[in-house]
Amino acid sequence: MRIPRLLQATLVLVGVYFGFIVVFDYILEAVIPRSLLTMYMFFVTAGVFMVFTYDEDQMRELAAPIKAMVEDPSKRGVRNVVFLLIPLLVGYGVYDKTMPSFDAPVELRTIHPAPPSTAKIYGERVNLLTLENPFRHYETEDPEQFAEYVEEGAAVYIENCQYCHGDKLDGKGPYAEGLNPTPLNFQDIGTIAQLQESYLYWRITTGGPGLPKEAAPWISSMPVWQNFLTEEEIWKVILFLYDYTGHAPRSWGAANASH
Amino acid sequence: MHLTNICMRTIAGVFAAGYLSLSAGAAFAQSGDMDAGEAVYAKRCLQCHGEDGDGLGPAAERLNPPPRDFTLGMYKYKTTGFDDDIPNDADLTRMIRDGMPGTAMPGWGDMLSEQDIADVLAYIKYFAEIEDAPEIQVDYGTQVTSSPESIAAGKALFEEGDRCTECHGLEGKGSAIKKLKDDNGDRTWPRNLTKPWTFRASNDPKDIFTRISVGIPTTQMPSFADPNSKSSVSVEDRWNIANYVASLAKTDLVVNPENFVIQGGRVDGALPTSPDDEAWATAPPSTFIMVPQIVGEDRFFTPANDTISVRALYDDNSVAIHVEWDDRTKSIPGDDKAASIADEELFEDSVAIQFPRDIPEGMEKPYFLMGDGTNPVNLWRWNSGTTDAPQTGTVFDAMGINDQQARADNGELSVSSSYRDGTWRVVMTRALTTVLPETDLQFEEGRFVPISFFAWDGSNSEAGTAHTMTTWYWLQLKPAASSKPIVYGVLAALLSLLVLIWWGRGAAARAKREA
Repeated sequence: MRIPRLLQATLVLVGVYFGFIVVFDYILEAVIPRSLLTMYMFFVTAGVFMVFTYDEDQMRELAAPIKAMVEDPSKRGVRNVVFLLIPLLVGYGVYDKTMPSFDAPVELRTIHPAPPSTAKIYGERVNLLTLENPFRHYETEDPEQFAEYVEEGAAVYIENCQYCHGDKLDGKGPYAEGLNPTPLNFQDIGTIAQLQESYLYWRITTGGPGLPKEAAPWISSMPVWQNFLTEEEIWKVILFLYDYTGHAPRSWGAANASH
Repeated sequence: MHLTNICMRTIAGVFAAGYLSLSAGAAFAQSGDMDAGEAVYAKRCLQCHGEDGDGLGPAAERLNPPPRDFTLGMYKYKTTGFDDDIPNDADLTRMIRDGMPGTAMPGWGDMLSEQDIADVLAYIKYFAEIEDAPEIQVDYGTQVTSSPESIAAGKALFEEGDRCTECHGLEGKGSAIKKLKDDNGDRTWPRNLTKPWTFRASNDPKDIFTRISVGIPTTQMPSFADPNSKSSVSVEDRWNIANYVASLAKTDLVVNPENFVIQGGRVDGALPTSPDDEAWATAPPSTFIMVPQIVGEDRFFTPANDTISVRALYDDNSVAIHVEWDDRTKSIPGDDKAASIADEELFEDSVAIQFPRDIPEGMEKPYFLMGDGTNPVNLWRWNSGTTDAPQTGTVFDAMGINDQQARADNGELSVSSSYRDGTWRVVMTRALTTVLPETDLQFEEGRFVPISFFAWDGSNSEAGTAHTMTTWYWLQLKPAASSKPIVYGVLAALLSLLVLIWWGRGAAARAKREA
């Protein structure tokens, strides 16, 4: 038996609706804002309508059950029920919309905004595209010296960063829960492992207030570290972040090689 | 029957073998390898506890409590008797594995294996050359399960002869009447027993019983099992006290991440001006985490408080905000008693409520640390006053932590406060709208307004940029119920019903004609 076109269209819409909820709320564990869902569903409904009314025949087939319900005297019972349900739904919808909202405004923010190509750091304009960690080359050339720098970076970290990012670099320092956004978890494969050292240098030196607007600089608790630490201390703490977590920084070379 | 018997025996045998291998595993885990432990220590522990285990890592000065000095061989949280300094391996293992809430010590159980922990434990014990096993264990007797009777008995013992109230205060909030120091001379604060999330080793009655029985070595928390102490009590009574202490946990004033909107309720009649007015019970509280100011200069690392609870009420003209936070000390400069408990210098206690000057249209807000050059904030600040001057409520216009202008007192902000048994309660009231919309936030029913908080504990050297603070949350003056939505809903329903009937009739008539 063939499923009627109207039912098909309805099933597609319901399926997509719950699909969004399952994917966002449960699989990605990021609850989709209802306003966004409404917008998506508007486009989906428009798309489904276009597909299902591609030509005259399809249009007629889609509308047939509705037409029958309204015109066919034998379907009076169904019609009466539907004609009662629709006003009730409309009434509830209007009631719901005019009720004052107790949901706080939703704030969407970019966690890793695109870096600018240059930034003003320590009073000088720095080209972030070519900037490299001046201590990185010791890793291969003089491992003993490198280990010493890592240790110095560890001291800087414990003295300054662990309160929020944690002793374990997992973003769960003693004050982490009081902050919004919560501090980054460097152990996570989605944070520093995806970034270049110059990106970290930019984020650390200019801190929360140095973020572009889409990243909501007004709520980030990241201090402007160029006010507290020297350039060398910051490069060493970057060495430590990668060393402790076992991640490797992204480099332009690696990025090019993978293309 | 016979078959069942064999089965049973086999099962018993499997269990026995399992048990044997388990205990063998436990014995193996206990024999930690010191050399392996040194490597774990160097990577995970050295930064705080120092290369020599003396607790003098680079951050020692900034940690409160400071990292443990392993060379002393003294441990605060242990289950051996008060007269035996040596802890059980299980006590130290627990601290390493689970961490210590309210301190910088995280739980390492997700990063270190059981063997790693056993190894590092062997290395840590080596700093104080602990080789012997402890000899005396805490006597738990028979646990008295919690009941209203046990809690009542515990409360009486808690207060009897100032046994516990001397340091922990009548409400268990640690409202101080004397200055406490540990053996190292560092300042310590009596635990606020209403905040179980700050208990280093949980607020399970069994853990509390252990603390009461053993005391907290190296601090002024004594053992109440020591027969030489005149405050000591029986095993049964220690269980009663433990049950009472466990019952002190706050229930309505705890942080709930879902509760980030302060719902201001509308009142008919006068707004309550006193913080102790019963009307405040009708306003649902929101409790937020406070963190020290470690973002701008000068950074502050040793806060005394960690939460603040807020309520709001409003009427046709004004909004009143009720803030409540635990502070062990009532800091009134000039008061000798307050000065004797305070750090070197005594400042006023203070709290500030922060609002953006303008309600933002998009999601942009002023910088959470007292605003910025383009987005100024209003700070409503209350100061506890001194022996010479009364409390004050002042409005500040701020555009950053170092750019705050106090307005002359024109009476726009009225304040009242009360301090009782370790808790400050302050009410600040202002008109919903003012004559200066360019410089003042104007409140509107239903609108979401960003709000955040700052607090200073004057006895804990908190003044200037040394304070605690929250991030931005929301305040909404909840509109009173109105009949508007119902009326609109019914009208819409009737209208659509009319349209449908008109459509249905037209279609039926057309169908008839066509037929």
